[in-house]
Amino acid sequence: MSGADNSQDRAHPREWVLNAETEYRFELDIGTSFAIKLIRGQAEIFGAELVEGKTYLFYEECKAAVYTWIGCTIEVIGQPSTEYVSEETPMAAYANVHLALEAMRVKTLLHAQIAASPDTASPEDLQEDAENGPSDSPRVLILGPENSGKTTLTKILLNYATRAGQDWCPILVNVDPNEGGPMLPGTLSATPIPSPIQTSTPAHTLGASATSAPTHMASNALLPFGYWYGHAETKRNPLLMDRLIRNLGENVWDRWDADIIGRSSGLIVDTPGSFAASSGAHSDHRQSLIKACIDAFRINVILIVGHEKLNVEMQRAYGNKLSVIKIPKSGGVVELDALYRARVQKYQMHSYMYGERVTPPPGMPPISSTQSTIRYLVGGEQSTDMTLAPSSAVVNFSDLAIWRIGEETMAPTSALPIGATRVVSEMQPLPVDPAQAGSGLYNAVLALIAPPNPDDTERYDEEILDLNVLGFIVVTALDIPNKRMTILSPSQGSLSGRTAIVGSFEWQE
Amino acid sequence: MTRLAELTVNSRPIIHNLSIIAQEYSRYAEVVAQCIESHVRRVQPWMKLPAFYLLDAISKNIFDPYARQFTPLVVRLFLDTYEVVDQNTRSKMEEMLLTWRTGAPNGRELFGVVPQLAIERRIWGSDSTQNGASSSSRQPGGQPSVSQAQVLSELEFVLGQKERALQANPYDKASQQHVSVLHQLRGLVQAGVSQQELSAILTQLRTLAPAPAPAPRIPPPPPVQHSYPPPQHYPQPTLAPAPPVSTSQVSYPPQPTYPVSYDEPKVEPVDYSTSTSPSTAASKNISNLFSALLKAGVVSASGTPTGAGTTVKEQTPPSTDTSKDVSRDYRRAILSTKIQLNSADITRQRPPIVRFLYDMLSSQCKQCGIRFSDSSLGKKRMEDHLDMHFRQNRKTTQGAGRGHSRGWFIGAEDWIHDGSVDLKGKGRADGLVNAKAIAAAEAAKADAELRAMYVVVPPGDEAQSMSCPICKEPLKAEFLEDDEEWKRQRRSQLSQHGCAVRFPVVVVHGPLRDKSSYPLRSLLLSSMARLGDRSPQRLRKLLVLSGRLRMTNLMLSRKGRHLRKSWRYNLIPFLVHEWIGGSHWVFTDEHSRHRLLRIADKAYRFFHQSSFMHL
Repeated sequence: MSGADNSQDRAHPREWVLNAETEYRFELDIGTSFAIKLIRGQAEIFGAELVEGKTYLFYEECKAAVYTWIGCTIEVIGQPSTEYVSEETPMAAYANVHLALEAMRVKTLLHAQIAASPDTASPEDLQEDAENGPSDSPRVLILGPENSGKTTLTKILLNYATRAGQDWCPILVNVDPNEGGPMLPGTLSATPIPSPIQTSTPAHTLGASATSAPTHMASNALLPFGYWYGHAETKRNPLLMDRLIRNLGENVWDRWDADIIGRSSGLIVDTPGSFAASSGAHSDHRQSLIKACIDAFRINVILIVGHEKLNVEMQRAYGNKLSVIKIPKSGGVVELDALYRARVQKYQMHSYMYGERVTPPPGMPPISSTQSTIRYLVGGEQSTDMTLAPSSAVVNFSDLAIWRIGEETMAPTSALPIGATRVVSEMQPLPVDPAQAGSGLYNAVLALIAPPNPDDTERYDEEILDLNVLGFIVVTALDIPNKRMTILSPSQGSLSGRTAIVGSFEWQE
Repeated sequence: MTRLAELTVNSRPIIHNLSIIAQEYSRYAEVVAQCIESHVRRVQPWMKLPAFYLLDAISKNIFDPYARQFTPLVVRLFLDTYEVVDQNTRSKMEEMLLTWRTGAPNGRELFGVVPQLAIERRIWGSDSTQNGASSSSRQPGGQPSVSQAQVLSELEFVLGQKERALQANPYDKASQQHVSVLHQLRGLVQAGVSQQELSAILTQLRTLAPAPAPAPRIPPPPPVQHSYPPPQHYPQPTLAPAPPVSTSQVSYPPQPTYPVSYDEPKVEPVDYSTSTSPSTAASKNISNLFSALLKAGVVSASGTPTGAGTTVKEQTPPSTDTSKDVSRDYRRAILSTKIQLNSADITRQRPPIVRFLYDMLSSQCKQCGIRFSDSSLGKKRMEDHLDMHFRQNRKTTQGAGRGHSRGWFIGAEDWIHDGSVDLKGKGRADGLVNAKAIAAAEAAKADAELRAMYVVVPPGDEAQSMSCPICKEPLKAEFLEDDEEWKRQRRSQLSQHGCAVRFPVVVVHGPLRDKSSYPLRSLLLSSMARLGDRSPQRLRKLLVLSGRLRMTNLMLSRKGRHLRKSWRYNLIPFLVHEWIGGSHWVFTDEHSRHRLLRIADKAYRFFHQSSFMHL
């Protein structure tokens, strides 16, 4: 409030005046942080509105944009590596898509409500429902090449839906194992989104899962549901992915069974860029995985971000059954290299275990300082303490059953000798013995999965594939002589008797 | 404190927001207090009241250190304001003043005894206001010391409380009665009653007005038995002076009355001559008081005060836009945009998005930016939302220093039912219930038919012993004279053991959720459950068998209730529990029938060739 001016002088704030329908884009360097304050007007970051006068922090190579529909003035503090204002954005198109999806939602909801209680429905509602004609909730598949802004579009559409004031709770489905959604890379997940997803760090672009810390934004305490695929590339084990996608779809539909509003809100599927890679040997995988998504989630809208060829292809394949729409790509997307992705995965893992520790840009008072008169918002939270305490424990090898799906190094089927079949199929769970050299467990990220069926007679061979992820643990040390290992897990609790699956992800602090 | 400038109307969300801000800046309580004071002094008279409500809210909810800060300035500020505002505002300020009597967390005067008395004296005259105990101890028939204005304003206050209680609990007969009695009393007092009555009414009113907490040093009001619940439904503040956070209440206390502008009766000139009734100070509660007055003929039983021509207008209920209406308005607005999902529409038009995301949702949470509409439903949601902030803020302060950790993700069952929790009651009523009931009925019928059926033993096989392909138990055949054929009765087999699982295969295409497959689904589920109960091992064997066919990965959920998980080829080949005349059942939609038939055939042949198969 009043005392804030002094410290701001030291921080050299700069003002940017944005005209209507323009956006201010910025990219941060490694290890820097950045603050934005909305002085006047209305502004939003990827669909989540900013509050006037609050200071928002961004860190860890965050690349984002402040968009305004009506114009605004923002004050920025800190040095981004790139910053500029763009007047060409695809936001109008995105907003139109949102409104079209909203039309589908309201129609479906009305229809569902009338079906639920036909006796109480008013005649004018009935008439309106009849006039609306057939309706279905929007179930959107977003396709596009790498770096085309798929995740951003997903986020904007989800955020707009949650901001409609209609209690929509759309489900975010992430089938990009490289990104992991609100979970970690390597998972395919479905997450109901009740409130706008905030942007502050690439460590959780799509919201964060729940912690024991109190949160103000429901999107910072999400309840994701997911399966462990375990690899970053879709081509590694497309059969497994196919199965997990279908499993996910089943669960989403089960959830909607009793949830009218949720069902009317629909879902949005964010896909990996490899779904759109039209060349290469993996084209058939890609086709079958897109098919799997369409079947599992009963997709009725496909949005294709800036990819003419894919658009034509999808029009041909599905154009008669569902709406296939090409969407302009934002000029603001940043080409991300593999190194950046690797760093982001590290941030994600760190943030999963240890939470956030943010330092404001130089010249601004530290967050936890009691003298500080500035209240920062990090990802919409004003909580000063966002660090988490994981637990590290030594367990016996026998305590934890560790599995690997398929063989670690799997040659493609086409590379096998003619006539030969696999000894181990892609879907076969193999027990991993930590005592063996080359078990690959050291520093490996394991997914702790739900316990198998307690009734032995109801178990089946591939059950492990169909069990959802409960959390992630890391083997930080192996003591082979004593048959013990050190495991870092997000919270305390015994791991004995649990089951975990190892993938190809590793993490070192 | 620029936000203070916004406080021009009496808006509860704005006040709440501001008080949250004030809490954040409680280190600068002095500055904040000065800001508020200067704001009150600066603005137009009609804007002063909301500012006072803010002062009131901050002092009550946060208490420390704000109440302390306001104490030295509140007397002057209140009186100065009181002088310049109109009559309406005055009475509201009086109402507020009354809540200050017990506004502190420990039930004492919010700003201490001295300022409270100072204000009350100035407003209601010389020695009229002691605390409740002294005025109630005053002898009836003593010196006329109670002014009509004071009684009226206290009456308004109690009435307001009752009305709120009534809104919260519309079927509370006692409250209803009290409200009507109070309305009559108000008219009565306005018409003018004797000083004795005034003081008697005042006494009763004070016993009626529930003190937030019995304060240790204030003598308790006369032990009056109330036949109705206290109108306050929120948790009472704790008695002990505690750190501000824990004393601030979770829900916004209804005490600072921010009235929705209902008609304030005009204070009429006092006319002492109309005193008619005897003393009623002994009456035990307000109903008695009323009936006494009734007897005395001051009020008529019909409910209209005889003495006064004032028409007591009922408070109009807040506009009754339900969630249904709100969503209807929204739906119409959205549908009127008429944007189709095609490339042309999406790129060509300029979206009216600002209207939907900003304009239609005019009140914004100043903490996280979430917007709410201006309708009464939106206001309610915003209140809930602000309450959430309040709770979370408190949790944050309380939990400071304690370590947090990431939780485990929830299991499948929990996740699936998480969304439907708050829909319980009306949940499942989305047409599924009916469908399920029908399906269950159909399934039962089909089941009964099946049970009544017999398998015809192929000619020539009569003598051949037959055993269950799975458990090898011999199956007995019997000759049914009616049909002159050997038949094996299935019913008994079924009940004897669960191996009545026979082949071939029922193939279901697609998820078992299509309308057309409801009967099938429940049939499968019921048979599945039955099998699961009776012969899990055998069932498992079958599943392994089918697994070798590379057609299915069947999974039973934990309780065997649900049949789910995905199936390769998106097919659900299923081993049906009946063998019917050599044909197999194929449930599918038409277009993939052929393919499914082929697969079913394959499965059928497989089982027939296998060594298990004897039939």
